Amino acid sequence: MANRTLAICRQAPYGSALAREGLEAVLAAAAMDQSPELLFVNDGVFQLLDGQEPAAIEQKSLQRNLQALPMFGVETLHVCKLSLSQRGIDPAQLQITGAEIVLVVDVGKFIAGFDIALNF
Amino acid sequence: MTLHIVSKSPFSSSALSDCANAVRDGDALLLIEDGVYALSREMPEKLAAAKLYCLAADAAARGLAVPGSIEAIDDARWVSLCTEHHPVVSWFK
Amino acid sequence: MPRPAGHFTIWQSMKFSLAVYGAPHASQSAATALRFARALLAAGHELYRVFFYCDGVHNGSALSAPPQDEADIAEGWQALQRAHKLDLVVCIAAAQRRGVLNSSEANRLEKPAANLAEGFELAGLGQLADAAVNSDRLITFGQ
Repeated sequence: MANRTLAICRQAPYGSALAREGLEAVLAAAAMDQSPELLFVNDGVFQLLDGQEPAAIEQKSLQRNLQALPMFGVETLHVCKLSLSQRGIDPAQLQITGAEIVLVVDVGKFIAGFDIALNF
Repeated sequence: MTLHIVSKSPFSSSALSDCANAVRDGDALLLIEDGVYALSREMPEKLAAAKLYCLAADAAARGLAVPGSIEAIDDARWVSLCTEHHPVVSWFK
Repeated sequence: MPRPAGHFTIWQSMKFSLAVYGAPHASQSAATALRFARALLAAGHELYRVFFYCDGVHNGSALSAPPQDEADIAEGWQALQRAHKLDLVVCIAAAQRRGVLNSSEANRLEKPAANLAEGFELAGLGQLADAAVNSDRLITFGQ
């Protein structure tokens, strides 16, 4: 039976390369028709905030990578509800065109449904 | 059951507390590298139902004693822990 | 590992892959990953692939020269590769950003030198996705 793979994104964008390189890995897998499920948790939820304008810090917007996900067949973004509330983020603020945001209450139970975890 | 691996000190990183929010009853938690500094304080309450391990070599390298509630293991036992659990999740920042 | 099943003990050999994000001699993670690789091979498991990503691409640099009284992590990977015919894959996109190139990439990008160590190969991120599909376990060694 095929492995069920989850990519766990825990890092804020821009301060380190890990958020970007994580999404690049997910896009590469999706391009091979091996789309992992995606979970944004802890500071990873900051990747989903609207209005990012990183040009002045000489970086490319991560939102372009996020918006590419649905085009490669990753249409559901799982987001930890607790991580949002800890950071004062209203789930209604999160919008990625073409993607459905699904809030996860029990992160441990969610993770347990997978065979393989990619950690970013 | 999931194996969680924490490699950063709880005094400088949220890795352990983030992990604690994702641990279910029966999961295993392994402290490695600077993660073993968690031995020097109370473990988060949410981890009460998890089986706790630490890498003996990492604790010894840092001069830390391993309390009886936590099993000190070698690399070979770490490998077997990985075979006994899935998925394996690393909390490293 | 041995697992009791009635009065038998079942040896369950598994296929592992490792994702290594840490540069050697910077954080402990690369050294930990190398030890783990040795331990799983010693236990009789298969190591399907080691994928070096993020700062982990520096594991594949032929130009690292640690002092003689320190462990040489790149040499450690190479020795393991020779002994077990390992697939040591350095992510090409992450490596280009950080200056780890083989000779054909150095030529193509018009850079003055190549530094990918013997035993490692450059390949795309698809190799990580492939490892996730074809391994029983994938273990991440973070930064």
